[in-house]
Amino acid sequence: MDNRWWWIYQLISSNQENKVRVSKKNIVIIALLIIIAAASAYGYKEYNRKPADIAGIAPTAKVSAAIIAGLYDSDEAKANKLYLGKTIQVTGAIAEIINQQDTLVNVLIGDSNSLHKVSCLLAHAYNNEIKQYTIGKPITIKGICTGFLMDVELNRCVIVAVSQP
Amino acid sequence: MNMKMLILVFTLRLFSGTAQAQTKYFTKTGQISFHSKSAMENIEAMNNKVVSVLDIATGQIEFSVLMKGFEFERALMQEHFNENYVESDKYPKAVFKGIIEIKEAISLTTDMSATVKVNGYLTIHGVTNPINTTALITVKKNVLSASAGFVITLADYKISIPSVVSEKINKQVTITVGIPAYQPLAR
Repeated sequence: MDNRWWWIYQLISSNQENKVRVSKKNIVIIALLIIIAAASAYGYKEYNRKPADIAGIAPTAKVSAAIIAGLYDSDEAKANKLYLGKTIQVTGAIAEIINQQDTLVNVLIGDSNSLHKVSCLLAHAYNNEIKQYTIGKPITIKGICTGFLMDVELNRCVIVAVSQP
Repeated sequence: MNMKMLILVFTLRLFSGTAQAQTKYFTKTGQISFHSKSAMENIEAMNNKVVSVLDIATGQIEFSVLMKGFEFERALMQEHFNENYVESDKYPKAVFKGIIEIKEAISLTTDMSATVKVNGYLTIHGVTNPINTTALITVKKNVLSASAGFVITLADYKISIPSVVSEKINKQVTITVGIPAYQPLAR
């Protein structure tokens, strides 16, 4: 058994033997120690928490690339209220794949004639999978919406589905 | 001048514009990172989706970046950055608009490398301040790239640090900008 637990066990069992003298004080100390330990364990875990893996998060909205791009183009503030900072799932045709040295891969989805598309920066784990897909292929991608510049921007994206030929 | 004349003049100017050589370049995949060192911890974040437009004839340059697009090593830092520091729900973008001083003509067909002065205005957290720095402009094998760095003071942008940690967090932040490749802006 762990030394600490043995010590606590001893403390409790000795209390039972001479209840009157020390029990109350010791219980308070033990309670405080447990609270401090729990709080620091929680703090340490929270401090070292990594950004969440999108694959395990259910999307708050499912939308087509054309609709979300159109909404952002017509009313950015309104669209931000709906999507900014949220995990969303977007479906559309692959319009372009921008691969920067295999480390940063952006997939643009939407109508190739449209000025505004949805630009998805892939999580590294999907950098290889995207290579097998060609332009025009319908794809569903999930990611965190960070807002709108020239395109609707999604970060940390995961590929959810690709339509089968 | 009547209305028809005005329209005619504008149309002519538009056409003369398109007839000129390609001078506007853009990117959607520029990079901006920032870091600050302090006794308590180093804060670092990276954004890989910077939009920038550069006109090599006039020297006009613009950058736009989404605050929520900065990725941190630690989730907690990213949440604090967005919620408490830059308030990215309220101010989702940072924008820089400026002019680079072009002394020698830039052409994609001639390899070159030059340090140029950049003067402009940076808006973060809804607050605009002048920025004067230098940038490195490079053309190599038909690829136009640029990089720059400068330091900002958080208080200038009304970014307040909670008093509990204010002694431990650096009030100055170093910003690094890198554009690996500008592409011709299609008309």
